[in-house]
This record gives sequence, C-alpha cells and structure tokens, in this order.
Amino acid sequence: MRKSVLEKDVISQLHQKSIEIPVIGITGGKGGVGKSTTAVNIAEAFLQTGHKVSLVDADVDSPDDHTLLNIPLNNPRDVAITQPLFNDSNCTRCRKCVDVCRINALFQPKNSIPILISDCNGCEACFLVCPSDAIERGEKIVGKTYMTEMGNLRLFTGELIPGVEESAFVVNALKDRAFNEVDDSDIIIIDTSPGTHCNVINALRGSDEAYAVTEPTPLGVHDLELILKLLRILQIKANIILNRSDLPGVKGKMRSIAKAYNAEISSEIPMDDLLVKSYVEGAPVIRMYPEAKSSKEIRKLSQKIAARHLQ
Amino acid sequence: MKEIVILSGKGGVGKSTIAASLGAIFSEKYKVVLADTDVDAPNLALFFDAIQKTSRDISTSEKAFINYEMCIGCLKCVDVCKFSSMVSFDKKPAVISYSCEGCGACTIVCPEDAIEIKTVVNGKIAISSTNHILMVSGELSIGESSSGRLVDEVRKTARQEAEKLNADLILTDGPPGIGCPVISSIKGSSYIIAVTEPTPAALNGLKRLFKVVGYFRIPLGIIINKSDMYTKSRQEIKAFAKKSKITVLSEIPYDLSVPKAISMAMPVVTACPDAQSSFAIKKLVNKLSGIIKKLS
Repeated sequence: MRKSVLEKDVISQLHQKSIEIPVIGITGGKGGVGKSTTAVNIAEAFLQTGHKVSLVDADVDSPDDHTLLNIPLNNPRDVAITQPLFNDSNCTRCRKCVDVCRINALFQPKNSIPILISDCNGCEACFLVCPSDAIERGEKIVGKTYMTEMGNLRLFTGELIPGVEESAFVVNALKDRAFNEVDDSDIIIIDTSPGTHCNVINALRGSDEAYAVTEPTPLGVHDLELILKLLRILQIKANIILNRSDLPGVKGKMRSIAKAYNAEISSEIPMDDLLVKSYVEGAPVIRMYPEAKSSKEIRKLSQKIAARHLQ
Repeated sequence: MKEIVILSGKGGVGKSTIAASLGAIFSEKYKVVLADTDVDAPNLALFFDAIQKTSRDISTSEKAFINYEMCIGCLKCVDVCKFSSMVSFDKKPAVISYSCEGCGACTIVCPEDAIEIKTVVNGKIAISSTNHILMVSGELSIGESSSGRLVDEVRKTARQEAEKLNADLILTDGPPGIGCPVISSIKGSSYIIAVTEPTPAALNGLKRLFKVVGYFRIPLGIIINKSDMYTKSRQEIKAFAKKSKITVLSEIPYDLSVPKAISMAMPVVTACPDAQSSFAIKKLVNKLSGIIKKLS
C-alpha cells in the first residue's frame, strides 16, 4: 500500500518545476521518424503566430535542431562531474574508497594511492568514506550546453562529449539551464532522443503533455508501443503524430494501440518531397514552403497545441 | 570468430534494414549469429519470421531501497545523492528509481542502516531462430536504466551461442546515438559499419560516432544509404571519409522496395531481390566478405 502511494508522489515530484509555462515533449521510441523535424516546425509555427518559443534539444547524443534551423550554437557552458583526486601525503592506503566504489572504477596498487582505472560516474561515495581527507574534488567535463537567441526563439542544446558515458548529467544540466533561462517564452518544446531510457525520461520530466512521433511501418508501430508504455508510467498525456502517414504499413494495428493507450492521433503528416528538401537545406518546411501539404498539417497541429495550452 | 557491429550516430538511417538484409545473405554463406543491441527499440527480429526459443530476465541494474521501519527521516540521503534520485515527502525520503544509479552514497550516510542496494530486473534477452538464422536480442524494461550493461549481456550471450554453433560471424544491429549502449556495442568488436544518409543531420551523427569509435581503434567502413537523396551532403560525406581515411563500403540508392519490404516485415533482399537497393546490398556483401577474411 505504502508503495503505490509513494509511486504517485514520486511521479509528481519527478515533474515538479519552478515555471508555469506550458512544456510540450516531442518524443518517439524509434530513431529517424521525424522528432526533430516536427519539433523545429512546431517551434517555427509558434514564432509565426507571434509567440516566444524555447526549443530544448535534449538528444545529447546527436543534437540536430540547430542544423535543421541552420543557426549556430552560442553561449557554451561546460557540464562537469566530480572526479576524485588523491592526495598522497594524506592517504592512509585504507582502501575504503576502493571497496565502496560499486562500479569498480578505483584500483589500488600495493603501497600506492588509489588510481582511477575506468569511467567514474561522479557519485562521490569515495569522498564520504575517506577517513583522512585524502580525496580532493577534480572535474571531468562530460558535455556542453548552449543557448542561442534568434529573434523570439531561444534554442537550448545539450551535447555529450564523444566517448563519455554520463549523458544523464548533460540532459539534467540542459533542462536546468533551459528552465532557468526561459525568460518570457510562451511555450517550451522539448525534443528528446530516441528510445525509452533514462535520458528520454529526464528530457520528459515536467512535460504537460507529449507527442510521440512515429511512422505506420511495423517497426514504427512496435516502438510506438514502447514509448506509450513509458508515457503511461510517467503519467504524461500521450498524443501521436503519424509521420509519413502514407507509407505502406500497418495503420490498423497502430490505431488499436493508440486506443489501448488512450492516445489521440493528433496529426497525420504525409510524405512530402518539399519537406525533405527543406530538411536538407536547413530551414523548417513551414517557413520555406508554407503551402506544402506537410506545412498545412503542422500548422493545424500547432493550432491544436495552442488551443490546449495558450489560452 | 568475428564480430561486426552496425551503428549510425543518427537514428532511422537504415541500420536494421541493412542488418536484416546482410543477415539474410550472410546466413547462406556463413554460420552466423545475429544480435540486436538496440535494447531501447529492438527491431531486427521483426524482419524474420523467427520463433522464440528462450527468454530470460536480466538483472544488471542496482537501485536503493529504503526500509521505512528503520528510517528516522534525517534526510541525509537526499542531500548526498548526486543523481537527484532521492527526494523527500513529509520528512521521509523516497527513491526515484528511474534515475537511481545504485551508487550507494545514501547507504554510507544513513545513520540507521535503513537503505539497501539491491539488484533489480532491468530487461530480458530472447533467443529466437528461423530455419537457418539464430538471433539474440535484448530488450530494456520500460523506464529502466543501465542499458550499457544489458548490451554487455546480449553480446556475451551471442558469443556463447556462436561458440555452440561453431559460427564464424556475429552480426550486430546496434543502437543509435553515441552513449553507453553504443560504447558497450563497440567494445571488443572486430569491425564497425557506420550507416549514414546524405543529410546534414546524419553527417553530424556520423562524425560524432567516428570520434567514439576512434578511441577503440577498431576499423570502420561507411554505408551511404538513400545515397541519391541530396547530392551536396553526399559529397560532404565522401570528402569527410577521404579526409579521415575511412572506406565507403557501399552507396545504396533509395527505392520504394525498401519501405515496401519493411511494411511486409521482410529484408529487402528477400522481398524484392531484383530491386536496385538489393543489388547494391549484394555487392556490399562481396566487399564485406573480403574484409572479414582479412580481419584478425
């Protein structure tokens, strides 16, 4: 009993935020289904209706929103985690730090101070057990966040340094920065990485609702179900954006999954050569080809989002 | 035994599509085991009418658990958690299990020994087979973490199965991105195939992946999928490959047989063997066979 009550509390704590601006998550289990394209176009639609928009590119493995908008990354800030530095004269060689490290990142050669032999996750457990104040705080840069301002748009981007595994810190630092520097934006749009892992969860924290982008192929439908399961656990209202909606596929199965998870198919964006053209040229399709069929669909979707959140 | 891993940096450029076709052809030439380490969204099995032989739970994740009968509500655990995974309600702590890393810092500061780190099930590994293909795939439980360690388990299982079969080759369909499951997929492999497409975003992803693979000094070749999509990016990819001394293994043109085959849940070389893309993939297989022979 206690557990179920707690679960609900934990979820509400997970979504707690200091701002009251609507937060919309754009996600999707599968890669390459059009998350970023949709996110930048929705952002552009809101800009065109005179709103101020914060777009948060939380796909820290492979951030692309700035590429799709063809704008630079400005105002870089390092994301650092703590690393232990050992002080030879204070260290008593007690090995307590080595024993407490659950990821076995520390090794102590005979009669020597401990050394870091693999990736440290910055948990600082070793600091807590050291009896002789022999560990000092070092830093390891694991990523960067950026904030680029272009007219009424603020683009926040997180970037993991290649070869580093601690991406959760980068996503969390990005979210903190975005929520702090959101200024007078009317809406926040968060573009997540593919998958259902902790980075997607951290990116979606605090979302008022989420849109899962997918395509009607068997692969798209399979991965859609995974992300809908995640949204249900996180108690975030789920909507579906069916991209490349006229691809041959299994639309019937998709509808039944949508129904089972009580998710509305909010938009169906057909395949559109003009969208592909704008994608590679680095401009949102609704700016480059406002009359394209995909542009019309995206505008309709943005109006729907506005009606729900900007009244 | 050789292990080839297919990666991309950016998602959705055709990893699984190409892995399925390569798997279908290789299984006729070699004894091969297929592995799917995209544990967030494992799709490779969807391409084959495979029958699941076994499925077992995997526990590679550790989480903190609080014994509330012992907890005195000092909240020292909340202050010490670097992962913002310990929160407080009504002066009692609670674990946000989704982001808890199981590091144990909270257990160290708890004066009552009320917190324990326990192993939890975070995914499963399934072995399935068709008449001549054996496949090992991992699936992360929804909302779970430690996907890197789950990938390690998938690869270990694939190696065990390959040894039993006396297989020559493990072909792995990897995850998108460059984070921990990708790094786990790279470690110890013999050759990396990086799939990309001629768009600025996919080239970004490729460059980031190339940096990661570089740390492990594993040979890498590029496949440009949907090669006729955008000439400018295609030339940029080729220029990048030349400058970085990477082989372009194949350029696979876009044709409608690919989405058609995907909708039928079949490898394109099986569904549409005469398609342009199938032709390119068959040529790729010949090239790869030469490379495999030379791998140590």
